[in-house]
Amino acid sequence: MAALETREQVAALGEKYKYGFVTDIEMERAPKGLSEDTVRFISAKKGEPEWMLEWRLGAYRRWRQMREPTWARVHYDPIDYENAYYYAAPKSAADGPKSLDEIDPKLIETYNKLGIPLNEQMLLAGVAVDAVFDSVSVATTFKEKLSEAGVIFCPISEAIRDYPELVKKYLGSVVPVTDNFFATLNSAVFSDGSFVYVPKGVRCPMELSTYFRINAQGTGQFERTLIIADEGSYVSYLEGCTAPKRDENQLHAAVVELVALEGAEIKYSTVQNWYPGDEEGKGGIYNFVTKRGDCRGARSKISWTQVETGSAITWKYPSCLLRGDDSVGEFYSIAIANHFQQADTGTKMHHLGKNTRSRIISKGISAGQAQNTYRGLVSVHPRAANARNYTQCDSLLIGGKCGAHTVPYIESRNKSARIEHEATTSKIAEDQLFYCLQRGIPQEEAVALIVNGFCREVLQQLPMEFAVEAQKLVGISLEGSVG
Amino acid sequence: MSALPNRRVEDWKYTDLRNAIEGEAVASAPVARWSVTLSGTVEQNELPEIMARGTHGEMGTVAAAHAKSGIFLHVGKGEQGTVHLELSNAGHGRALIVVEEGASLTLRETMSVGDFSNIAIEIVAGPNAQLHHIREANADGESVRVSDYSIRIAQGATYRAHFADFGAKLSRTELHIALEGEGAEVHLSGVSVLGDGGHADVTTRVTHSAGNAQSTQLFKLIAGGKSRGVYQGKVSVAEGANGSDSRQTAKGLLLGERAEIDLKPELEILADDVKCAHGAAIGDLDPESLFYLRSRGVAEPEARALLMRAFLEDAVAEITDEDIRAEVWSHVEAALAELTA
Amino acid sequence: MLEIEGLHVAVSGKEILKGLSLSIAAGEVHAIMGPNGSGKSTLSYVLAGREGYEIISGSIRYRGEDLAAMAPEERAAKGVFLAMQYPVEIPGVTTMNFLKTALNAQRRARGEKDIDALGVLRLVREKAKALHISEEMLKRALNVGFSGGEKKRLEILQMALFEPALAILDETDSGLDIDALKVVADGVNGLRSSERAMLVITHYQRLLNHIVPDRVHVLYGGRIIKEGGKELAHELEAKGYAEIIREAA
Ligand SMILES: Nc1ncnc2c1ncn2[C@@H]1O[C@H](COP(=O)(O)OP(=O)(O)OP(=O)(O)O)[C@@H](O)[C@H]1O
Ligand SMILES: [Mg+2]
Repeated sequence: MAALETREQVAALGEKYKYGFVTDIEMERAPKGLSEDTVRFISAKKGEPEWMLEWRLGAYRRWRQMREPTWARVHYDPIDYENAYYYAAPKSAADGPKSLDEIDPKLIETYNKLGIPLNEQMLLAGVAVDAVFDSVSVATTFKEKLSEAGVIFCPISEAIRDYPELVKKYLGSVVPVTDNFFATLNSAVFSDGSFVYVPKGVRCPMELSTYFRINAQGTGQFERTLIIADEGSYVSYLEGCTAPKRDENQLHAAVVELVALEGAEIKYSTVQNWYPGDEEGKGGIYNFVTKRGDCRGARSKISWTQVETGSAITWKYPSCLLRGDDSVGEFYSIAIANHFQQADTGTKMHHLGKNTRSRIISKGISAGQAQNTYRGLVSVHPRAANARNYTQCDSLLIGGKCGAHTVPYIESRNKSARIEHEATTSKIAEDQLFYCLQRGIPQEEAVALIVNGFCREVLQQLPMEFAVEAQKLVGISLEGSVG
Repeated sequence: MSALPNRRVEDWKYTDLRNAIEGEAVASAPVARWSVTLSGTVEQNELPEIMARGTHGEMGTVAAAHAKSGIFLHVGKGEQGTVHLELSNAGHGRALIVVEEGASLTLRETMSVGDFSNIAIEIVAGPNAQLHHIREANADGESVRVSDYSIRIAQGATYRAHFADFGAKLSRTELHIALEGEGAEVHLSGVSVLGDGGHADVTTRVTHSAGNAQSTQLFKLIAGGKSRGVYQGKVSVAEGANGSDSRQTAKGLLLGERAEIDLKPELEILADDVKCAHGAAIGDLDPESLFYLRSRGVAEPEARALLMRAFLEDAVAEITDEDIRAEVWSHVEAALAELTA
Repeated sequence: MLEIEGLHVAVSGKEILKGLSLSIAAGEVHAIMGPNGSGKSTLSYVLAGREGYEIISGSIRYRGEDLAAMAPEERAAKGVFLAMQYPVEIPGVTTMNFLKTALNAQRRARGEKDIDALGVLRLVREKAKALHISEEMLKRALNVGFSGGEKKRLEILQMALFEPALAILDETDSGLDIDALKVVADGVNGLRSSERAMLVITHYQRLLNHIVPDRVHVLYGGRIIKEGGKELAHELEAKGYAEIIREAA
């Protein structure tokens, strides 16, 4: 990994949330509120087949009977689900992604500003991007190059049209329609997200990534991502997220499903930088996300890495169902909560097959008046002989007004299984800080340096191209937390 | 009363009381009685109804409501004493134990009755008081027993307690502990040795409300047969309770093919100048150690027994009273012998 | 360069330095010796500006400025360097990255341009070689898992890199093997110049054979109770503290 560019990161701070701008573009929306008609509207906009509409309507009816979960350590005013738009798309992008030279220049410019040039020549070599703007995908790069390898990488709405058999087989097979309140809502109104299929034995030739952007006001984003790695294949996928600065809270309720068949490996990384709200806790994204990976085949592996720095509220537990014998699940997480942010995040590792292994490394940082909770489950089923888990869960507190909480559930029903869990909570060590100061490093930079060191094990898991970016984000997110 | 606590209630996730006993049996249970042995300067009185005011969990509240009478033990300022409470009649019971400033008490609890017992005990340790508490619950596959302790520790006082549980149809020990003064200390330890269909749940809630207080916890669980061992421990550090130092360790050894161990060590930290850590682990006996012993000529059953004793050793060693420790240890040995037989 | 006058310092409400005066001119090397707990490290921390060291009275002037008024990082940028008795471990931060960050932070504070990653690497390599510090060590997290002697050598590497005007070495010799002692002494001597001053805290005369001091001070009970030329170190070694303290009393 590249050396930590702490110096540059602090110099580059300038504005605190540099992605807070709004793109002024003509939008088309669904009528406000949520009803069967909204669901029909979305389905029609996407030109979906009948079975997909039925699937959505089923979810919608179910959702109407569900209640919002309250067990997480997050507090917010009731969400008015009738007072939001469930679909918003730039008029110019209404027919889905076009070839790159046909895209509205305003969108190109937006993504340039976000540091995601959609022009293939300018892109990071070796990274294909699907750009999702509010409810639609506006561009997918390197499609041809990928299809040469047999890899399908496209917006999910396109996959529903073009690969119905794959979608029917796998959609909802990891996160059932009725899984939880937010997942069911997503199943009813999901707009766009990415679809990936990597055929048998193929090692995906480049990093795949999706860049989610919320732009429109009063709109929720309900992305749906489905990744299938067929036998013996490998894919690394990264998502990034930003949104404009607004006083209102916007809802983002995504569902991500991963399926790894025999011998396949999926590496899924997230750099989540949704607008966190201002220093007084006004505005920011409500990030209620269901992510689950199914190690369906023997010797498969799913690895989650997340850097969660944004959002007013994060409610997110990327999990692994370790069903195949000898399958492996990993969860590497950095969660930073500053000012009035609230994060309740962690993972679940369900050991179902024999010799399954899992590893959890979680680094939580709380500053300002934020509350940061790690919540995790390691469960070993009676059949999961020789299962192994190792968990390390560390929390760092910066200032006396914030909170750090650790809630692990450890359940074993197989005598040959071994589970180990360690957790610590402390403040930034005064002697480390003094050592840095004595060598001339100013306070804020010293904190960024020490925190980056604290997070290193997780940062190292990120693909090279994104590690440096993530390190900068760590420094920026903690701005104003000391002194 | 409303429905009994069950697995849908977060705090009772691993201990379903509703499944173990009828609500009717709980409602109609008699008032529990103890036989009390005192030495040193301890006063014993009838507990006036009005005096129960500790923070209890669901069942402690039920016990306090049902037990019209109870016992009140008092150790005056600077005095010393020992108490042995032997539960002689099952049912809802209530006790208040006050150890005044600078006083010290060794409190021993045992039980020889089965059936359904639901005990709420409130303990108040005054400034610089010293309390050593040892509780043993015998193996009894038929009985359902709930004990709910509410313990307040003043500045400079130390509460040291050990809970040895050999399993019941359902056994729940709940500790609500508040470190209320600077320099207060709590040291909890325990062993659960469970065979067959036994169940034992230790649930602790330790709150650091004042600064510079210390809490340690060390619990060891062995689950054989189709037993279930549970440890849930929550340590909370209140805002401003700087200098808090807390360490929590829970380890389980799963021996039975159909046994289960559930651990939930929880931290809730609202102050920044703290040192808090917890560790939890579940596993089988270490095959390498087993092999090592066997290669030195120790037969397998003996080697296993040796390693199990070693596993429990440090938790039992937390009992500072030598005689009581030896007695608890002999009961642990007996339970282990039964497990490995 | 450094003038300390009537310095009283308390830590956690306890007075440790009780009227210490000391002055070091540019170009000089002074040694401080004294029994355990006499306040040597306390003095070094006060000079570096560690939090929790409360100056009750007295003054510290550094190049004519009030040192006590400056933030620790400001002192560093102005050339105050403290090689610590117990260097701190910082997990996850590689040594090389730390050196680069610190060097450029100091330069920036002085209005100088940053040195790029490659430039720093070259510089560090050159200094590391002289101190027999391996490349591999520079890739590891700062001081984490370093042996006692390795930590001390890394402190000297930093001194060589930052080229401070006032270097304070707090027991840099303890934990070093004989060869390393020589290497460290060479490093220190290499930095000696008419613009720099050094304050060497040590328990052993041995180091002072290599770094020959201009003055030697004996610190006891938070005060300098005796001072003299380099021969004082020999006298101490021969008589022990007890006798010197008795004589001074
Ligand atoms: N935080 C503190 N609270 C109370 N006393 C302290 C504190 N820090 C240092 N002291 C005391 O101050 C005295 C001087 O300590 P100092 O570390 O300066 O000694 P020293 O001369 O460097 O000793 P050594 O030769 O062992 O390194 C000692 O008695 C020490 O115990
Ligand atoms: Mg010292």
